[in-house]
Amino acid sequence: MNARDTILQALRTNRPAPEQYPLPPVVTLGNLDASVERFVASLKLLGGDVMERQGDETLDAAIARRFPDARNVCSAVPETNGTMRAETLKTPQDAQDVDIAVVRAAFGIAETGSIFLSEAQLPLNSLAHLAQHIVILLSPGEITANMHTAYQTRPEFHTAHYGVLMSGPSATADIQGVLIRGAQGVRSLSVWFT
Amino acid sequence: MSNRPVNHARAAEKFLEDAPHLQFHDERLWDMRQKRDDQMHMLPEWQELRTEASRIKEHTLARLPEYLERFEENAKKNGIHVHWARDGAEHNRIVGEILQAHNARSLIKSKSMVTEECDMRPYLEKRGVTVTETDLGERIQQLDDQLPSHIVVPAVHKLTSDVARIFAKDYKTDPDIRDPHLLAEAQRQAARPVILHADAGMTGGNFVVAETGTFVVCTNEGNADLSATVPNLHIATIGIERLVPRMADLGVFIRLLSRSALGSPITQYTTHFRGPQKGGEMHVVFVDNGRSARLGMEDFWTSLKCIRCGACMNTCPVYRRSGGLSYGAVYSGPIGAIIDPTFNERKYSTLPYASTLNGSCTNVCPVKINIHEQLYKWRRVLVQHHEMPFVKREIMHMAGKLMGQPKLYRAAISATETALGTLPRFALYNWLNPWGKHRENPHPVKQTFHAWYKANRTDKASKTEDSR
Amino acid sequence: MKIGLFIPCYIDAFYPQAGIATLELLEKLGQDVEYPLDQTCCGQPMGNSGCNSDAAAAEALFVRNFARFDKIVMPSGSCTHHVRDNFDAIPQTDEVRHVRENTYELVEFLHDILKVEEFPWAEFNHTVGLHNSCGTLRSLRTASMSELGEKPFSKPMDLLTKVKGIRFATPKRPDECCGFGGTFSVTEEAVSARMGVDKVRDHYQAGAEYIVSADSSCVMHQQGCAERAGIPIRFIHIAQILNGARS
Repeated sequence: MNARDTILQALRTNRPAPEQYPLPPVVTLGNLDASVERFVASLKLLGGDVMERQGDETLDAAIARRFPDARNVCSAVPETNGTMRAETLKTPQDAQDVDIAVVRAAFGIAETGSIFLSEAQLPLNSLAHLAQHIVILLSPGEITANMHTAYQTRPEFHTAHYGVLMSGPSATADIQGVLIRGAQGVRSLSVWFT
Repeated sequence: MSNRPVNHARAAEKFLEDAPHLQFHDERLWDMRQKRDDQMHMLPEWQELRTEASRIKEHTLARLPEYLERFEENAKKNGIHVHWARDGAEHNRIVGEILQAHNARSLIKSKSMVTEECDMRPYLEKRGVTVTETDLGERIQQLDDQLPSHIVVPAVHKLTSDVARIFAKDYKTDPDIRDPHLLAEAQRQAARPVILHADAGMTGGNFVVAETGTFVVCTNEGNADLSATVPNLHIATIGIERLVPRMADLGVFIRLLSRSALGSPITQYTTHFRGPQKGGEMHVVFVDNGRSARLGMEDFWTSLKCIRCGACMNTCPVYRRSGGLSYGAVYSGPIGAIIDPTFNERKYSTLPYASTLNGSCTNVCPVKINIHEQLYKWRRVLVQHHEMPFVKREIMHMAGKLMGQPKLYRAAISATETALGTLPRFALYNWLNPWGKHRENPHPVKQTFHAWYKANRTDKASKTEDSR
Repeated sequence: MKIGLFIPCYIDAFYPQAGIATLELLEKLGQDVEYPLDQTCCGQPMGNSGCNSDAAAAEALFVRNFARFDKIVMPSGSCTHHVRDNFDAIPQTDEVRHVRENTYELVEFLHDILKVEEFPWAEFNHTVGLHNSCGTLRSLRTASMSELGEKPFSKPMDLLTKVKGIRFATPKRPDECCGFGGTFSVTEEAVSARMGVDKVRDHYQAGAEYIVSADSSCVMHQQGCAERAGIPIRFIHIAQILNGARS
């Protein structure tokens, strides 16, 4: 018997009586506030930022203001071309010098300030992680209340091959408990509502 | 693997001698427990979430073969290769073969306790594959040639000075650095080229969704995302018990995991892998390694509900004061003490005794594993299987006999009082008296309760028939 | 209601005042209490070590001594927990079941069964830190547990707040285990002692002059740690305070 069958057979032999452990129905618990205010508060708690719009400035202007030293701005969105288009990235190695990645999130989650990115938003998945900083475009109408509502209502979880919920920038506290932002992935994550 | 029982007590004693390390370790993990409590107080539905999580896991485990088959079917439809390993050796062989088929000589990986169970790194390194841990804590431990001491914060037993010393050796940084930011930046710079040029990437898997053929990886650094998306070969090593039935069930588990582990609402990265990326290849290796056997243990199968949050370690007063390495196993702390005996009963026979049975672990477990009750039950099993040291067993045997004989018992108490009251200090406090190593003995009394009662309530004195 | 009084070995041998206070308190409350002289131990040390068969003799003797009482009361949470929840080294006859179901720890007996409203004879003009043993707390549920975020309640506090003059100090880690753990105190002596001294220091730094507990086993351990470390805190059993001890 091969490993697969051996394992499955052992499980069938050993398992507790299934009738005693029915599947509980799906639950939607907790705070169902899906407002931008709640999203922003949660985002900031996890180290993310809101990129403030000064007057009626463009996205380009806001990025230049926030990241004055950035040379390589790689955009996957129509709202800006940056210094290069994400579609021109052929391999992850092409993305290694990207300072700012500009992408649009499919949706956000108010409970945790998370944003969702998949291959539908990322011409190259690793762009979101090799860039030094990331700017996320998010439509306030695409904010869902919490993890329950997200997993139950968003179709992206059933279609994406690669789907990441980013909740603030990369972080670690592995050295003597000190919180550090920008461990391996992006050093900052900023949301631009549009 | 040596079968000698782990001497947790001796390792703990050594750990306790290093005051700065002990103090940080205890306070840091207690702080994580406090942060978990803060999250709990913010969610009125916290207990309901735990109940749901427990029920979902128990149901899933009772139908595990069906859910594994369903996952496999869905995963394969989306282009994921699914492999099965009965034990660590088989796992390592499968991984080795996948890497060889791709001429992969370098592997970057994010955290996976299962790969530690399988002892994968030395196997691959012997076959010419360089394995680099990308999680900061795991990397520190890899460079220091130690097991992770905690399943979520692997280097929690180290201070900044220890990390600076290790990085000075391997990254040629300044050994006197005391700013963790500088060390983390050094790791970032050192890891970057390795990541960019790795032939293959490996992750673990926190949850496996049968309904959609998805597996989920939760990290704070994003190192699993780098490991999985930069190279075009992604291998995921996952224990067979990590299944959940539906995508919707992730709502319950993701809400519990990071809150229980670190006291943050969610990990910075929650990644859902459902299929290979364009031009890439994705493999899942399911590992049994004793899990199917554990499913058949009436008193212990619920330990398979574990979602590896580490909350039990954070709250355990013994773990905080002895450090994960004192358990001598891949899994330490309370959860380690109840699952390690299934890996090697003799070697880990001491672990269920490294506990006061206080029960705090059971209360913080997000999936309601009755850890302290399983610790108690394991003690009975170990005694029945003769895994208790002879000396301790004999003492218990004699104590048991003494407790059945009132007259002898009274005589023993009287003798103890006399000894405590008359013997000089050097006779009472020496290697024969472990109680007295760091504590004063209890004070002898002139009159026991028994004697007082006889003297003051004789009209109430009662005797049962002579009990022998 | 005839009450059988069980006095654990360490109270009999080292803290007889706690046993005397328990008896006197129950008598003051009008109860008919008797202490069977042939009692020894409840079997917990053997049971907790996994040596269940070695607990059988003690458990059988316990039942022989106490089967004839309506209620069995003891000033020990850990012994109560053992009798109610783990007393299975002997065949479970009706007699055994009766004993198991009617065994009470003192505080829960005063609070739940007698529902005592006042202790007019009691006065304790000191600041105390309350220590709930893990047995009473998490197994007998005499107070709310910090891990669960439940609505706060505390049977020992309900009783102690009825004592004139008493003041309370709260340690930083109110329900972290003190490290006694039965045989653990000897087999893992270093960790046990460290937990004990941490606990005592926590109470002392919170301003407690006394640590009061319903479990003398914890007290025995904490007292040993305090004395070795030179921490000048005193210890008292809750029965003594409720019975009218002034110090």
